[in-house]
Amino acid sequence: MDFRYTQNQQDLIEATKKVLEGKNTLQRLRDLVGERRAENTIKQTKDNGASDIWNQFADLGLFGIMANETDGGLEQPLVVMAGVAEAAGYVALPEPLVELAGIVVPLLSQMNNLEHLIQVLEGRLSVGIITPLLPINNATAYHDMFIVTSKFGGELILKEDLNLESRHSIDPLRTLAKTDKPSSLNTLADYHGAVLSAAQLLGLAQRMIDMSSEYAKNRYQFGQPIGAFQAIKHQLATAYMQIEFTRPIIQLAALQGGVVVHNAKLAAIDAAMLAAETAIQVHGGMGYTYEVDLHLFMKRTWALCGEWGDRSYHMKKLEDYLLNGELEIGTMRTFI
Amino acid sequence: MNINYTPHQKNFRAEVREWLADHVPGERLPSFDTKEGFERHREWEATLASGNWSNVNWPLEYGGRGLDLISWLIFEEEYYRVDAPLRVSQNGIFLLAPTIMEYGCNEQKARFLPPMASGKEIWAQAWSEPGAGSDMAAITTKAIREGDHYLISGQKIWASRAVFADWCFGLFRTEEGSERHKGLSMILVPLDSPGLIRRPIAQLDGDTGFAELFFDKVRVPVENLLGPEHGGWSVAMVTAGFERGLLLRSPARFQAASARLVKLYKQHKDRLSSGVGEQVIQAWMNTERFCAATYQLVSRVQAGALISSEASANKLFWSEMDRHLHRTAMSIMGAQAELEHGLDAIDNGRWLGGYIFSLAGPIYAGTNEIQRNILAERVLGLPRVGV
Ligand SMILES: Cc1cc2nc3c(=O)[nH]c(=O)nc-3n(C[C@H](O)[C@H](O)[C@H](O)COP(=O)(O)OP(=O)(O)OC[C@H]3O[C@@H](n4cnc5c(N)ncnc54)[C@H](O)[C@@H]3O)c2cc1C
Repeated sequence: MDFRYTQNQQDLIEATKKVLEGKNTLQRLRDLVGERRAENTIKQTKDNGASDIWNQFADLGLFGIMANETDGGLEQPLVVMAGVAEAAGYVALPEPLVELAGIVVPLLSQMNNLEHLIQVLEGRLSVGIITPLLPINNATAYHDMFIVTSKFGGELILKEDLNLESRHSIDPLRTLAKTDKPSSLNTLADYHGAVLSAAQLLGLAQRMIDMSSEYAKNRYQFGQPIGAFQAIKHQLATAYMQIEFTRPIIQLAALQGGVVVHNAKLAAIDAAMLAAETAIQVHGGMGYTYEVDLHLFMKRTWALCGEWGDRSYHMKKLEDYLLNGELEIGTMRTFI
Repeated sequence: MNINYTPHQKNFRAEVREWLADHVPGERLPSFDTKEGFERHREWEATLASGNWSNVNWPLEYGGRGLDLISWLIFEEEYYRVDAPLRVSQNGIFLLAPTIMEYGCNEQKARFLPPMASGKEIWAQAWSEPGAGSDMAAITTKAIREGDHYLISGQKIWASRAVFADWCFGLFRTEEGSERHKGLSMILVPLDSPGLIRRPIAQLDGDTGFAELFFDKVRVPVENLLGPEHGGWSVAMVTAGFERGLLLRSPARFQAASARLVKLYKQHKDRLSSGVGEQVIQAWMNTERFCAATYQLVSRVQAGALISSEASANKLFWSEMDRHLHRTAMSIMGAQAELEHGLDAIDNGRWLGGYIFSLAGPIYAGTNEIQRNILAERVLGLPRVGV
C-alpha cells in the first residue's frame, strides 16, 4: 500500500503541468476572450490559430497518455490522467485535451477503432462525445467527429451528419452545441468523465485560491494588506482545507471506480463552488468584472459542475447506494 | 500508486478481528470520566496489552509489534468495527509516546513506555492555563531548577483525564525571566506528587472529564525533563503535530459513526424531510474523504515526509465533520434528542453524548480559529499583522 504517485507518474504530471502553464498563459486566455467577444466565435480551432498548441500536445504525446503502448501511447492509468486534468483545470485550458486523452481515446480503444485513435494521437482529428451525461456538448468548434455512445462502445459520426444547434455559454471559451441524436450510457465514459471533470474542478479551485491569496497580499485597505484580516484568512483557509480533502478521494475514485466516483465528483463540485465564491469575495468589486482573470476560472467551474453528472445525479446515486440499499455498512471499508 | 494491502497486512487484519471478537466486552463500558468507568477502561487497556495490541506500531521492546502505520489503520478499522471501548490512555499512547520516541533517552523510553502500554500508568496533558489557552506561549507556571530537582508552582487547567490519571506531561517555564515561546520545558510529573492539588471540573455532560491542577512547589527530579531544557516549545509542537495531524483521530472512528448514522436514518426515515437524507450522505462522504486523505498522509509519512502545517487542515476537517455528523443525528432524533439515557433515549443517549463531545473538537488541540490562522499564514502565505 503506497497511496502516492510513483516518481515516474509524478514527473509526467509535473512536466505536463509545465507545458500547460507555459503555453496556456493568462495572456493567451485574454486574447482568446477578446477575439470571442469581437467576433462571437473562437477562431482558433485545431486547424488554424490553435494548431500551435494542438501540435505541441500531439508532439509531446499528451493525447496518448492513456493509449496502449502498442498504439503509440503512454498507457498511464486514469489516476495519472486525473493529475493531468487537475493541471488543465489549473490553467482553464480551452482545448479539450482532457476529454480527448482521457475519454475519447479509451472509448476508441473500447470500440477497436485503431484508425481514428491514431489520428487523434497525432493531433489530426478531434472527436466529441454525445452521451446522456453531456446534455450539451462543449468544444464543438474543434471537433471533426463525434462518438455517439452505447453501452459497450459507440458509433463514430461526422460532425456534418449531426444537426448540431449552437448554444451560448457564459464561459467565453466554451463553444457549445446541442443535438437530438439519441445515445445510451456508457460505463467507461461515465466513470472517466466524472473523475476527470472532478479533477479539473479541483485544479480550478486551487487556482482560484492561489489567485486570491496573491491578491490578498497585494491589495491594501485600512493601511494593511487585506490578507492580514482574519475574515479573509479564514475564508481562504476553509476553501484550502476543502481542496486538500478532495484530492485524495478523486485519486481513489480514479483507482477504484464504483461508488467512490460519485463522492469524488460531489466533493469536487462543492469544493470548487466554495473556492469560487470565496475568491470573488476576496477580490471585492474587482472580482465582479471582466477586468481580472478570476471570472474565467469561476465560469469554467460553473460549467464543469454540470458535466458528466451534476450534483443531483451523483447525489441520487449515493442515495440509492446508502439510504435505499440493503447494504450492511458496518463491515464496509474504503480500501479493499 | 498501489492501494492493495500486502498478504501480511491481510493476515494481520484477520488476526486482529479474531482476537477482538474473543475479547471485546459485550456491553459498552461506563464513561471513563467516572471513577468506575475509568478503572474498567484501565482493565481493558491491560487486556489489550496482554495480547500485545496496545500499540501495534510501537517497537517490540516497549510492548508494540513493530508494524507500520498502515497496520495501525487496519487495527483501528477492526477496533471501531466492533465498537471496542474508547482508549482511556489516548493522551499517553497517541501524544506523549511518539514524543518520547522522538525526544526521550533510552532510560525514559524503558521507564515510561511499557507501563503506558499496559494501562498501569495513564497520562494527562497539562499545557493550558487560565491565562494561556489559545495563546499557549503565555504560560506562566514555573519549574525552577534546584540541584537535581525542579520545583513547580502555578496552575494548569483543562487537563483531560487528570481527575483519575497517574501522570501528566506539562509545559512549564524553566528559564526565569524568559518570555513567550522561549524558556519553556516539557516535564513529566506524577499526579500524586505532594503539593499538587487536582480540582475536578464537570463537563457539559456532568462528568468530570478534566481537572484544574494547582502546583505548590511540587518537586520533580530532573530526569523527568523530556527533550532539551528551555526547548519545550519545539517538543510541544511535535506532540501537537501528532495530535492534530494523524494519531489522535483515525478515520475508523468516524466511519463507524457514519455507518451508525445511516442505520439511524433508516429507522426514522418515514417521518424525515427529504433534506435529512442528503445530510446523512454528506456525513458519510466526509468520513470517506477523511479516510482517503489519511491513507495518503500515512503513505507520505512512511516514505519519510514530516507532518507540518497540513496537520491544521486535518484537525479542521475531522472536527467539523464530526460535529456535522452528530448534528445530523440530533436532527433525526427530534423530540428524543434531549433524552440523556434510559426510557425512549435512542441508543441510550449515545448520539447526544457524541454531539456534546463533538462540540469540543473545534476547541481542543488548538481551536479551529487558530488552525485557520496557521493555514492562512504558513501555507497560503498571508501576512501576520492585523486583526
Ligand atoms: C474537552 C476539552 C479537553 C481539553 N483537554 C485539554 C488537555 O488535556 N490538556 C490541555 O492542556 N488543554 C486541554 N484543553 C484546553 C484547550 O486546548 C483550550 O481550551 C483551547 O486551546 C482554547 O483555549 P481557551 O479555552 O483558553 O479559549 P480562548 O483562547 O480564550 O479562546 C476563546 C475563543 O477565542 C478565539 N481566539 C483566541 N485567540 C484567537 C486568535 N488569535 N484569533 C482568532 N480567534 C481567537 C478562540 O478560537 C475561541 O473561539 C481541552 C479543552 C476541551 C474543551
